[in-house]
Amino acid sequence: MFATLFPFDSLLAGARELGLVVAVAVGFGFGFVLERAGFGRASKLTAQFYLTDMTVFKVMFGAIVTAMTGLVLASGLGLVDLVSVSEGIASPTFLWPMLAGGFLLGVGFIVSGYCPGTSAVATASGNLDGLVTFVGVILGSLLYGEVQPLVQGFHTSGDLGPFFLYQLLGLPAPVVALLVAGMAMGAFLGAEKLERIFSAKREGLPAPAVGPTPARRLAFATFGGVAALGLATLAFPGASGADPSLARVLPVSAAELAERVVAEPWTLRVIDLRGEAACAAARVPGAACVSPEHLGEAGLDAADGRTVVLVGEGDLAGLPLAARAYRGPVMALTGGFAAWKAYALTAPAPLAASATPVERATWGKRAALHAQLTGAKPAAAPAPTGGGKAAPARPKKKGGGCS
Amino acid sequence: MDRSDRFWNPYVAGVLLGCVLLGSFLVMGKGLGASGAANRLGAAGLDVVAPAHVDAHPVFGPQKHEGRGFFDDWLVFEVLGVFLGGAVAAYSAGRLRVGVIKGPRASTAARLAAALVGGVLMGVAARMARGCTSGQALTGGAVMSVGSWVFMMAVFGGGYAMAHFVRRLWT
Repeated sequence: MFATLFPFDSLLAGARELGLVVAVAVGFGFGFVLERAGFGRASKLTAQFYLTDMTVFKVMFGAIVTAMTGLVLASGLGLVDLVSVSEGIASPTFLWPMLAGGFLLGVGFIVSGYCPGTSAVATASGNLDGLVTFVGVILGSLLYGEVQPLVQGFHTSGDLGPFFLYQLLGLPAPVVALLVAGMAMGAFLGAEKLERIFSAKREGLPAPAVGPTPARRLAFATFGGVAALGLATLAFPGASGADPSLARVLPVSAAELAERVVAEPWTLRVIDLRGEAACAAARVPGAACVSPEHLGEAGLDAADGRTVVLVGEGDLAGLPLAARAYRGPVMALTGGFAAWKAYALTAPAPLAASATPVERATWGKRAALHAQLTGAKPAAAPAPTGGGKAAPARPKKKGGGCS
Repeated sequence: MDRSDRFWNPYVAGVLLGCVLLGSFLVMGKGLGASGAANRLGAAGLDVVAPAHVDAHPVFGPQKHEGRGFFDDWLVFEVLGVFLGGAVAAYSAGRLRVGVIKGPRASTAARLAAALVGGVLMGVAARMARGCTSGQALTGGAVMSVGSWVFMMAVFGGGYAMAHFVRRLWT
């Protein structure tokens, strides 16, 4: 599986120039469709906000649903990796500036009659009001650029990192895509109803199309069909893979974790998600017992750059919501606590006398780790020639307590 | 209705626009945008007037010095395409003519003043939100980014909240 066919940001020298030519071609398509939809005219765009013509809403959500369901389908078929493509395309979520910026942009939209993209289309079709708007956008972005260093706290507030609806809802992406497509189609029908009501109130406006026109049927069939195909890919073994939220989680084996817990515990924040009772009985040294639903109160932000290591009963089925927002590295213990028990809390089997020096060294390391982690008396490695049959001490089950 | 007022069916236009967007996603791993290009254009203009200021600026400096400068950027070329595509579409539909679009009750001066004020507001807003209706709402919305959906709802909220107060411009 690859990210995309030709990821633009990794293009070099000559290929990058070709990529910029593709950028012009993509923009051409964008500008052409916008103009033909009527988006080069402020009167058409602003009618959205007086409910007499909901073209803006229909075109925008129609495009969103088409591209979204198409991308989800491509990912389901194994053509691209949804999360890595999406992270390359969308900016990380900064909740408060995006909320405030959106509201302000909406105000600017109805005052100027355009949004930044449509002001470019309006300029290209000769509308001077579009040109003035585009110049305003340039001036406004310069203004904010000058002010931004002074409002950096606000500018980066509500930082949730790259964050997607399917992670927020904890549902597979094709399910979310189908829900969005369904809601959009319902909203389109509602929008047509509003258009009829509000156009009738105003004289001189052409009556909007009524009923299921062939164009609407075709578009709805596209939305529903592609979304359903995307959902069907969930049935393919392995195509859609595990929970997408796990994509950024690095696996760590019990052996690696045991070594790090002993050698550099200050780089880790181990969190045991198995529930209070199981965790209190036995856990990875230094682990905090936090159930997944209380993870939000565990102060993950305060882990300041440490690696968060999540320990479940076995492999994690999905990343808990609170851990998704953590910006530092996140690891999950492969095999969960069961694997930890088998590795770190079980004494290594006695070594055969014929063991090679490498095996001997590995055994010694593991025995020492085991001793350190369980408090058991370290067993001496059998002498190379002797019949060292003395088995290492059985592990003592430790009841709770961070060792 | 005269030919120059005939537009594509919105559902057809939406599906076609979605195909352009999807193609850009799959082939280049990039989306659409507009305000990012305006930002770089402005920074390049500022660089002509005050190059030392731009060099030291935390936002505009990197645009100047990373890669081959302000214009070595996906969005700058994409927006160049938007102008070309818009012009060709308007010309071939018989709509390419110089004019000012406004409501029947608005004066041209008021209309152009509003265009400038609204444009400045959107320029500020787009940098605050890391994108505009193209880059944030359309592109980010299609990849289901949470921030983009928050932004999109807020855009409609802002538009509807303000619509009543500027109705003389449009109705």
